[in-house]
Amino acid sequence: MEELIRIDRLTKVYERGEVLAVNDISFTVKRGEFLVLIGLSGSGKSTLLRCINRLIEPTAGQIVFDGIDVTKASARQLRQLRRRMAMIFQQFNLVKRSSVLTNVLSGRLGYVNPGASAIHKFPKEDLESAFANLERVGIPEQAYKRADELSGGQQQRVGIARALMQRPDLLMADEPVSALDPATAHSVMQYLEQMNQEDGVTVIASLHFLSLARRYGTRILALKDGEIVFEGLPAEIDAAKFKEIYGEEAEEVEVR
Amino acid sequence: MKRPKKSKSASHSPWVRLAALRPRFSAFMLDWASWGFIAYGVMYLLNKYWYIRHVNFYGRLTLPGWGWPVVIIATFELALLSHAFSQSIGLSLFGLRLFGPEYAPVPFRRRLARFVALHVGLVLQPLALFGDRPLGSLVHDSDKTGRMLLVAKVKDDLPAEKPRKWYTTYRGLFLAGLLALTFWLGWKITTINLQMLVERIGKSGHIWKDLFTPRFTYLTEPVIPGRTFSLVHYMLETIFMAFFATVTGAIVAFPLSFLGARNIMGFNAFGWLIYSVMRTLFNALRSIESILMAVLFAVWVGFGNPFAGALALFLHTIAALAKLYSEQVEAVDPGPLEAIATTGARRWQVVAYGVIPQIIPSYLAFTLYRWDINIRMATIIALVGGGGIGTLLFYFKNEVGRLDDAWNQVGAVVVAIVVVVWALDYISARVREKIG
Ligand SMILES: Nc1ncnc2c1ncn2[C@@H]1O[C@H](COP(=O)(O)OP(=O)(O)OP(=O)(O)O)[C@@H](O)[C@H]1O
Ligand SMILES: [Mg+2]
Repeated sequence: MEELIRIDRLTKVYERGEVLAVNDISFTVKRGEFLVLIGLSGSGKSTLLRCINRLIEPTAGQIVFDGIDVTKASARQLRQLRRRMAMIFQQFNLVKRSSVLTNVLSGRLGYVNPGASAIHKFPKEDLESAFANLERVGIPEQAYKRADELSGGQQQRVGIARALMQRPDLLMADEPVSALDPATAHSVMQYLEQMNQEDGVTVIASLHFLSLARRYGTRILALKDGEIVFEGLPAEIDAAKFKEIYGEEAEEVEVR
Repeated sequence: MKRPKKSKSASHSPWVRLAALRPRFSAFMLDWASWGFIAYGVMYLLNKYWYIRHVNFYGRLTLPGWGWPVVIIATFELALLSHAFSQSIGLSLFGLRLFGPEYAPVPFRRRLARFVALHVGLVLQPLALFGDRPLGSLVHDSDKTGRMLLVAKVKDDLPAEKPRKWYTTYRGLFLAGLLALTFWLGWKITTINLQMLVERIGKSGHIWKDLFTPRFTYLTEPVIPGRTFSLVHYMLETIFMAFFATVTGAIVAFPLSFLGARNIMGFNAFGWLIYSVMRTLFNALRSIESILMAVLFAVWVGFGNPFAGALALFLHTIAALAKLYSEQVEAVDPGPLEAIATTGARRWQVVAYGVIPQIIPSYLAFTLYRWDINIRMATIIALVGGGGIGTLLFYFKNEVGRLDDAWNQVGAVVVAIVVVVWALDYISARVREKIG
């Protein structure tokens, strides 16, 4: 399989607090993979993900996306790269006072004519695909509601629809189901799995529950104190490895 | 939660060290200023109760030439003393405290030594900005026997101590004394005299009577035929002045508010520059009351011209609203902005789709609130030639003695103002309720 992302000696130091959040990490992600990041709170999962689309600026190292160096991209190039890397968030990050439809359509902002977008005018194809994507995540009837009228699970589906609008090559999900109950969590994860398997979107997701990681990941990367402590298949994580990643006192919690 | 390895915090740049010194410096200046205030108060009260009563009724006690340095040095020493004993209100306001080893209290003798050392230390302080020595080592703020620390930073490590009653602590007593002195001075300086209030009530009786029997002679009639207009005309002038100033001011303030918001502009040095310039501009403009601006515009476009008032209100509205608006922009939830930025949207698209929907309700509320203020201001801006209903108010007030029913006319204007202001307030309050 062809390689989509290569991360080379990536380091991030937060100036405030002088925290070394990601320490000299290197790995690659192949096209079509479903990579799951695990690790304790504060191990650097969010930082790593947010470095990839440069929501935060890496301190050192290189990130190559489909042959293009993200770290050296100009503002314009970065916008074009970001169109291809969608992201969904733990807190959904919808614009609460806007309609669901507007939230979904904002996934096209990187593509559309900027002048037309200023007056909230989107091409007909985009409108059609917005409805198609809402249909796909199972909430077509919510299109005209305000985003904050939806339940958490529904809001995350809007987040997924917004990501789908970008027709991305890569989907990054930072703890996409941590704010949801187990049943809803599974249904949201299944949409991600569907994107991965049917649309061929490469997925990198950080997850808190190992059971979810085992169920959905094709490969697992474990972080501890900003360093990689495990890289391999879900089945390879045994009790000993688990203790290494989460510490001696930790016990595994199941999510069904 | 465990912290990943800390990167080494070796030598900081002088700027970082200077910034760390700031609370200590500010605390000291505050203490010095409060002692200076006490010195002024003592001087004033001496004048009031001793000098003009017993020495020279028409004179004034002033400091001799050598008095100034004495007062300056004395207050400096007092501030230094309270600083050295880590008991000053400045230090407690900035959350600083002197701790011994293991957060133990520092003994009296050591504090006294610190007071003496501070005299030399303060002079040497600039040296502490360079090199690796801990900050304040030169003023004995930081050595083996004691350290000046921010209480908030070490809160968790502090041994539990019983909170003391305010009247048993130095700073509680000091603050209470300061408050009492301020009240006493304020009473004397503003010549508050309750006796006069009671004595004079009878003498102004007929004015009250006239004011409460308003005469609406000029409700629609011109006041001076062929020259000045009626009450209704001036009232409309007032309302439109406020309306024009609010609407145009809000329209100009809207785009400016983004330029004055840190979270929108703080992405590079150039943005920071614009942000700082904007904020300074807003604050400078805002600090000039619109009635003062009206003085200028009345000279410019003509005394009594409502255009002058409208311009003054317009300018002040821009500054005030831009400041309030940009604080709203800074308070938006950053999550959605990130989400929109990750779709590859441009910076202004992030603002249009992420920021604006979040701020619209508070923008409307603030604009209505500003409209209330502008209406009030527009009623009196005529005092300095800004036009509007106040023109009539001051006209009739000046006719007292020449016109028999001048006070009744003033009463009519006051009633008109109260009714209009109340009605518009009520409407805007209802609208704000709807939005909120
Ligand atoms: N903006 C910031 N400024 C300073 N330090 C930060 C910042 N964001 C994160 N950190 C620190 O960086 C480290 C890694 O944080 P990060 O958010 O990447 O961890 P995480 O694995 O995503 O944790 P969680 O599971 O709690 O989301 C933590 O020690 C955190 O305190
Ligand atoms: Mg995180």
